[in-house]
Amino acid sequence: MIDSIPLKVGQKVPPFELDIYDPVKEDFGTFSFDPAKPDQKWTILFFYPADFTFV
Amino acid sequence: MRAEIVTISTDSKFVHLAWQRSEKELEKVRYPMGSDNTGKLSRIFGVYDEQTGMDLRGAFVINPDGTLLNAEINYYNLGRNIEELMRKFKANIYMSRKTNEVCPSKWKEEGDVTLSPSASMVGRVHEALDKK
Repeated sequence: MIDSIPLKVGQKVPPFELDIYDPVKEDFGTFSFDPAKPDQKWTILFFYPADFTFV
Repeated sequence: MRAEIVTISTDSKFVHLAWQRSEKELEKVRYPMGSDNTGKLSRIFGVYDEQTGMDLRGAFVINPDGTLLNAEINYYNLGRNIEELMRKFKANIYMSRKTNEVCPSKWKEEGDVTLSPSASMVGRVHEALDKK
């Protein structure tokens, strides 16, 4: 388990990967965030408590 | 300007699939639905609730260099205002191009009044906001 002091605004977000369901491809996949990628875009992360509830 | 939007909960990708297919409200969803089963990413952003294993309602804007520019966290019972999130997103993109300008609270889109902090503006913010 990594040390979990939450990030603050102004700090660098470390690279990460997430398992995803992609509704466009109707398939599973991986979302990867890595500022070292030359084509890294702006990113919005939107956390919510649970599926099958309101968002 | 395009952004990568990803929604994240601690549900599995299998549950995401089932929810998206069964809920009419999600029929038009096109963004990837991320699964943070272990809560690892959620802890990094301070949204993981150790008591419930669920995520609080968090929204985060990150620039291409990886800097976290905006963070909003609501408790379970309050939804977020998507217009406000998009306002912050657009403002951040604008300011990344116009680095000597700042966007005041009423800024909504390009063309709206911005401020350029300087000695002449000290004590004159009201006049600067009023110039349009």
